Amino acid sequence: MAEFIARRAMRAILTIWIAVTVTFFLLRLLPGDPTLLVVEGDMTPEMQQALREQYGLDKPMMTQYWLYLSELVRGNLGTSFRQLQPVTDIIVSRLPWTALLAGSAFVLTILLGIPLGVYAAAHRGKRVDRVVQMFGITGHALFVPSIGILLLVVAGSWLGWFPIGGAIDPDTRGLDAYISLFHHLALPLLSLVVVQLGPYALTLRTNMLEVLGEDYIKSARGRGLSPQRTLWRHALRNAFLPALTLMGLQLGTLVGGAVLTETVFAYPGVGRLIYEAVGQLDYPLLQGAFIMLAVTVVVANLITDVVSMLLNPRIRA
Amino acid sequence: MSATPPDARPAGAVAADEPTASVPPSAMRSLRRFLSKPSGALSISMLLLFLMTGLFGPLFVDRPGGLGAEILRPPSLAHWFGTDDLGQDVFAQVVWGTRVSLTVAVAASAIAIVIGTALGLLGAYSRRADAWVTTVTDLMLSLPLLPLMIMVTALAGPSVTTLTFVIGLFSWPEVTRLIRSNGLVVVSMPYIDGARALGATGWRIVTREVLPAVVPLIVVSVLLTAARAVISEAGLSFLGLGDPDSWSWGRIILNAQRSGVISTAWWQTLFPSLAILLLVLSATVAGVRFNDSRDPRLKDR
Repeated sequence: MAEFIARRAMRAILTIWIAVTVTFFLLRLLPGDPTLLVVEGDMTPEMQQALREQYGLDKPMMTQYWLYLSELVRGNLGTSFRQLQPVTDIIVSRLPWTALLAGSAFVLTILLGIPLGVYAAAHRGKRVDRVVQMFGITGHALFVPSIGILLLVVAGSWLGWFPIGGAIDPDTRGLDAYISLFHHLALPLLSLVVVQLGPYALTLRTNMLEVLGEDYIKSARGRGLSPQRTLWRHALRNAFLPALTLMGLQLGTLVGGAVLTETVFAYPGVGRLIYEAVGQLDYPLLQGAFIMLAVTVVVANLITDVVSMLLNPRIRA
Repeated sequence: MSATPPDARPAGAVAADEPTASVPPSAMRSLRRFLSKPSGALSISMLLLFLMTGLFGPLFVDRPGGLGAEILRPPSLAHWFGTDDLGQDVFAQVVWGTRVSLTVAVAASAIAIVIGTALGLLGAYSRRADAWVTTVTDLMLSLPLLPLMIMVTALAGPSVTTLTFVIGLFSWPEVTRLIRSNGLVVVSMPYIDGARALGATGWRIVTREVLPAVVPLIVVSVLLTAARAVISEAGLSFLGLGDPDSWSWGRIILNAQRSGVISTAWWQTLFPSLAILLLVLSATVAGVRFNDSRDPRLKDR
């Protein structure tokens, strides 16, 4: 068990190292001097040189790389071009909102997707099944901002049921603050879940159809167990672990979706920060945001793997 | 229910059995089977409609630009999709955006297919390379690719070329996974051993025997990768990373968001959204339908 965790942890570190290395060299190899992009307008050669020295750009590339890695290990992602604050501080202040949004979407998609996939598989060829199949294929074609704007305009602006921006009402205290939090979370969360749910349920349905054909299911039915009981007690138990693993693989996509939803709803997470940084051409911030999101996804994936292992008697033994 | 010939074989086997036939006799049959369901015919018609719009639309519709007198008008006979806050015609923007979306989708998909197929075949054939191919593919798939694409596009400078390369260079892992897993099945077939026994080189086996067998999957991959590329392009343009000199569906939606009219001028976000939905949906359905039409066992599903 310890070996399994150690192996997965090594893999996680390797992933992050490769992500960091590739971005570092990719950005250095691209044409264009980043210092030219810091401030528009005129800049004397002396000012440029001072800036290059400040960012270490006058040193050889490998030296820059080691410098960058050693700073990174200490949690230093550089200084934002525009906000003139450490990138790490800016991102860490925004990360909880993205984690809340993507985390809730992760849990809600699993909670809705499993029953939907199992139910569709059990009623194969019936109307429910065809609806799930259609929803599954359409899901690939849904553009997150389009769904977000639809929900924002209909449920937010026209019906006035939900707030149309922000993450919390700062004047609320205690229980009201939690209510305000979920009230603001509802629409961004829903737009992510709508996009994720269909394809997820469709894959689970296919997995479930395989499970339902296995011997232990047939023998359970043969022992006289009702179809319902067989389905929910025996088949579902074996469908849960693959379902969790599958959702773990979707984490990268989920975070990408969160970037887009946050932009639509002015939700104060890392995604909205990225949108603002694009407008301001703040490269250290963009690079830091990618690295922090990559680390978050890789760590969340590691946790998913370990949870799966703890739930799986075959690996745990 | 579609009429499936009883002797229909999986396309991989056909290509392998009859390498000399220029047009396999099953090609016409596959096409007929593809079109036999409404979803097949409908998705292909829709794709053709978008293709025509992208190719010829800009010849008939003036390039949107400048300031118009009629600001934020709802759809009418004069402006089918309404006008935006600068008085520009949204229909013209959508038509011009079609060209960019299709260009990026086709070119990015081509890049991803070439890299993805090459790596997938390499992994399937060479056991030594396979460990590397699978590791790199899995690593790429586990990263949040949108933030990565945002960062690279921003630094390279937004343009149609940048978008194409960035999307293409980050979209191959899914192709690799598909081609590799199916290539493994082909490589383990007896006729590959036969070719090897006859003294064929690794290069020859991969290009002459394995590649033709996975061609149908490449067709499916082209459609699905292009569909995903449309979504990626729209996403990047929506975040302000589109080409500032050309129209794009994502940019139209971004303009609506920036000028704060998404709640009032619903037409400015609805029509580009529908264009994205219909194009991606028809490419996806065509891909799925093509895949099913090759497999007679699936005709009931």
